[in-house]
Amino acid sequence: MAAEDPQPLLRFTGHRHLTTRLLLSTLTGRPIRISQIRSTSPTTPGLTPHEVSFLRLLDAVTNGTQIEFSMTGTTLVYRPGLITGSAEGLGAQGGVLRHEITRECAGRGVSWWIIPLCILAPFSKGSVNVTFWGEGCITSSTPAGDMSIDSVRTAILPLYKGFGIERNIEVRVLKRGCVPRSGVAAGGEVQVVFGHQVRVPKTLHLLNPGRVKKVRGVAYAVGVSGANNARAIESARGVLNKFVPDTYIFSDVSAAPQVESKEKGNPGGKKKGAVGFGVSLVAESSTGCLYSADVASPPTGGVTPEDVGKQAAYQLLETIEQGGCVEKSAAETVLCLMAMGSEDVGRVALGKDVIGDEDMVQLGRDLREFGGAGWGLRDKGEESEELVVSVVGRGVGNVGRKMA
Amino acid sequence: MKTTTMKAALRKRKRITREELEHLSPSPSSASESDEGEDLQAIFRRAFEAKFRPLEVAPKKPKMEEEEMPKPEEPEEDEETDWSGISSDEDGVEIIEYSDTHTRNEEAARSEYKTFMSSKPPTTSSTALAAKLKPTAKDPEDPDEATHLKNDLALQRLLRDSHLLSTSTSTTPSSTLLATGSTRHKSTDLHLLALGAKASIHVQKRMPMSHRKGITAKAKEREQTRRKEAKEGGIVLEKETRERKEFRGRERGVGGPGVGRMMGGTLRLRHGKTYWAASPDLVSLPNGRKT
Repeated sequence: MAAEDPQPLLRFTGHRHLTTRLLLSTLTGRPIRISQIRSTSPTTPGLTPHEVSFLRLLDAVTNGTQIEFSMTGTTLVYRPGLITGSAEGLGAQGGVLRHEITRECAGRGVSWWIIPLCILAPFSKGSVNVTFWGEGCITSSTPAGDMSIDSVRTAILPLYKGFGIERNIEVRVLKRGCVPRSGVAAGGEVQVVFGHQVRVPKTLHLLNPGRVKKVRGVAYAVGVSGANNARAIESARGVLNKFVPDTYIFSDVSAAPQVESKEKGNPGGKKKGAVGFGVSLVAESSTGCLYSADVASPPTGGVTPEDVGKQAAYQLLETIEQGGCVEKSAAETVLCLMAMGSEDVGRVALGKDVIGDEDMVQLGRDLREFGGAGWGLRDKGEESEELVVSVVGRGVGNVGRKMA
Repeated sequence: MKTTTMKAALRKRKRITREELEHLSPSPSSASESDEGEDLQAIFRRAFEAKFRPLEVAPKKPKMEEEEMPKPEEPEEDEETDWSGISSDEDGVEIIEYSDTHTRNEEAARSEYKTFMSSKPPTTSSTALAAKLKPTAKDPEDPDEATHLKNDLALQRLLRDSHLLSTSTSTTPSSTLLATGSTRHKSTDLHLLALGAKASIHVQKRMPMSHRKGITAKAKEREQTRRKEAKEGGIVLEKETRERKEFRGRERGVGGPGVGRMMGGTLRLRHGKTYWAASPDLVSLPNGRKT
C-alpha cells in the first residue's frame, strides 16, 4: 500500500507528546516520522522502554503497521495500519490480547497505556480486549503523574457516554500493583474490554459544568493493612464533608501480588510484589461532569495515610477549582474524540488552566498538523474563567467499520 | 470503609466486652464508665441494626449474660478477678475508632458499592436520579391517577369475569360483582392463561387412564348432544374443529426413501427439505449420512 501511494511523512521532533502523535497518526492514517528523540541525552538516548512497549501495543491492536527505528532509537518512522482490535490470529488468544509490561517500564502507570488505547478502541474494527500484566504493571497512581486505574474507570470511561459509546466497556482489576522500589516488581494485572465500536462518535456539546453534588472514591491498600484505607478515608472526608456531604469512599484491600522470582536456585518460586496504598477520588457535578484526584504512597514509604487522604482531597478541590466541564487529565480523550467526530462543530467549556496547559496547546497544534480544522476559542462570559472550545470533526470516523 | 470499621468494632467487642464486665463486677464501675458502656452498646446495636433487622428494645440483661459467656465451666469468682484485671489494663489502652458518624441507608450503600466498584464504569447518578424523578412525576396527579388506575383495573377484571359471574348467579344469586369461591379460582385461572400460562390450573396432569378416557368420552358426548340439540332447534353453532393428526415424519422401515415420504408412487418432500436437492454435496442428510 505504502509503495503504491506513499503519503508524505509528517515530521515531528522530540520525545514529548509521543503517545498523542502516535495516536493521531493511527486514527488519521497518516504516517509520521519523529526525530531527535532524546538525542542530546548522553546516558539514555532514544526511546524509553515504556515508549517501545506502547509501540508494541499499537502494533498488536493494528494490522499492517510498520515501525522503523534508527540504530540509536532517536528516530522513528511509524506507518499506521488498520485498527483491528483483539482479532484472533493477530496475537490474541481466546479473544484476549496479553500485553506484558516489563520491569523496565515501571516508570509509568498502566493508565499511560490504557487511556490512549481507549481512545483508539471505538474506531477499531472489532472489539478490543487487552490484558496488561507483568512486573512493571502499576495500577496505582504514580509519581510520574499517571492516574490510578480506578480513576480511569470512574473518571475517564464515563465520558465516552457523551459520544454515544457506552456499551460493553469494562476495566477489570485482576491484581493490584503499586509503584515498586528498585529490585521489587509491581505485578499488577488489568483487563480492558472495549466492545462498543462506532462509525462516528456523536457530536458533543458540553457547556454547563453545573455544581459538584457528590464525591465518590476508592481507597486501595495493597499488601498493607486495611486500616490504612480507613485512616486515609477519614482524613479525606474530613476535608470534603464540609463542601459535599454526599461523600463516600470505598475501601479495597488486597494482598500483595505474587511475582515469579527469577532466582537460579528456586525456579518456580514466587516473590512478593510492591506494596502501598492510595486514594482515588471522583467528584460528579449536577450535569454529569467529572473531576478526579489521585494520590498514592511513594515507593520509599514514610507517608502516613492521613497525609495521603488529605492531599487527595485538596487535589480534588484544586481540580474542581480549575473549572470547565472536563478536567485536565481527561481533556485529551474528549478533544481527540471530538476531532474524530462527524463534520460538525462540537463545543466544550474548559477552564483556562486546563486549555492553557502545554500538552493541550500542543495537542491542538498536532491536530491541525494532521489535517484538522483547528480549534475555535472564545470566552464563555465576561467574568468567566472558562473558555468555550469549538472543535470541528474530521467526519471520517471509523475506517474499519466503513469497509466492514 | 464502613465494613472495616464495623469489623474492628465487632472484634473489639469480643476481646474487651465492657458491658459484660459491668454486669458481672459491680465494684469498679463508676458512673462515667457505665455511660461509656451504654454508648458502646448503642454503637454496637446501631451497627447490628444497620446490618440486620432492628432489635427489640431493652433486651433482658441476665439473658445477655448467659448468652455472651463463652466459658460456662469457670467459677464465678475467677471471672470476677479476670474482669477486674482487664479493666485495669483498659485504662492505659487508647482506643481509636474510625467510626462513621454519617448515617446512611445500608442497602443504598451496598447497591452503590455494586455500581461503583464493579468493573464497569459507574453510570452517572442513575440511582439518585431515579429516586428523585419518581415522586415528582407522581405527585401532581397522585390522587386522580391512582384512582383512575384502580377503577380501570377493576373494570377490566369485571369484564373478564362477567361470564363466570352470570353463570354463578344462575345457581346461587349473589348481588356482589366480586367473584368468590370456585368462580374466583376460575377467574384467576383465566387471568393466568391470559398472561401466558401454559396450562390451566384446573387441568389435572396425572390420573389413571380409565379416568381420563371417561372424561374425554363424557366431554365428547356432551358436545355431541349439544350439537344435536342445536341442529334440532335450528341454531347455527360454530364449526367443529377436527383434531389434526400430527405429521409423524417419514417411515423408518427398510426399503423406504432416505428423505421424504413415498405416497401414491411419488416422493413427497416438505418445502424445507428441497434445499437438499439444490445442493446435494453440501448438506448432509438428516440421519447423518452424506449424499
